[in-house]
Amino acid sequence: MKHSVNRPPTPDAAEDQGKEPTLQEIINIKLIESGEKERLMELLRERLIDCGWKDEMKALCRAHVKKKGRNNVTVDDLVHLITPKGRAYFGHSKVVGNQ
Amino acid sequence: MSGPNEDNNTQLSSHIFGDLLDSIIVDVASECHRIAKLGLDRNLEEEEEEMRLSAQARARVADPSNSSETNTKYVVDIFGQTHPSVATEIFECMNCGRSIAAGRFAPHLEKCMGKGRKARLKVTRSSTAAQNRYLRGSPVSTYSPYSNSTSTNRLSNGTPSVAGEEYSNGTYEEPWNKT
Repeated sequence: MKHSVNRPPTPDAAEDQGKEPTLQEIINIKLIESGEKERLMELLRERLIDCGWKDEMKALCRAHVKKKGRNNVTVDDLVHLITPKGRAYFGHSKVVGNQ
Repeated sequence: MSGPNEDNNTQLSSHIFGDLLDSIIVDVASECHRIAKLGLDRNLEEEEEEMRLSAQARARVADPSNSSETNTKYVVDIFGQTHPSVATEIFECMNCGRSIAAGRFAPHLEKCMGKGRKARLKVTRSSTAAQNRYLRGSPVSTYSPYSNSTSTNRLSNGTPSVAGEEYSNGTYEEPWNKT
């Protein structure tokens, strides 16, 4: 018999929790549902390329890879490398986030 | 809009922006990681390779044992190709219509158009006095570059004989040129 037969029943998350989704979450969901989030992403991507942000980030990555050696670099490394610099690019007053 | 709502909106937008930015950051990092791992970024290795090669080249140049005596015929260029020391492609001389090897073309033209005795006579007969004066006035200068070129031309018998005058028939034959 397959393992999946014995798996625990799917919890009814929404009903059992007393928590209301936060405004933040509602907005996020609405954005995704309406497709607006995707549009915003594309717009932002384009703008970031135009203003040279992407090139700067790529240069940072390349320098890091050169230093560490191509085979010792993980995606995680690069993400942690770029995140503070990527956000700082805009002046930290604008971007509030999980820094 | 009241104050707190505005702040709230700003904060919310910032949060959303941060969210989008995070996703894009992950994309960029992932792309760079891919490029690094697949070795698609030629610059990384190219630079090391070039530095190694330039150091090698420098060593070879500085090396005194590697002078021009060795391999005069089979010099290898940076692509590893060897060329015969006299270029062998054949062209037609536009002046006399003969087939000339590319490597012998310049000296041939000199003979054919100005330096060879018979050729010069032909020229003086049929052209202006100004050209005469030019040719007669500088016999030394037309000869000496030629003798320089034969002595640096690394042919097998390399005798820098300024043979132009001997071959008085104007058609400059070079029986010793075996290539």
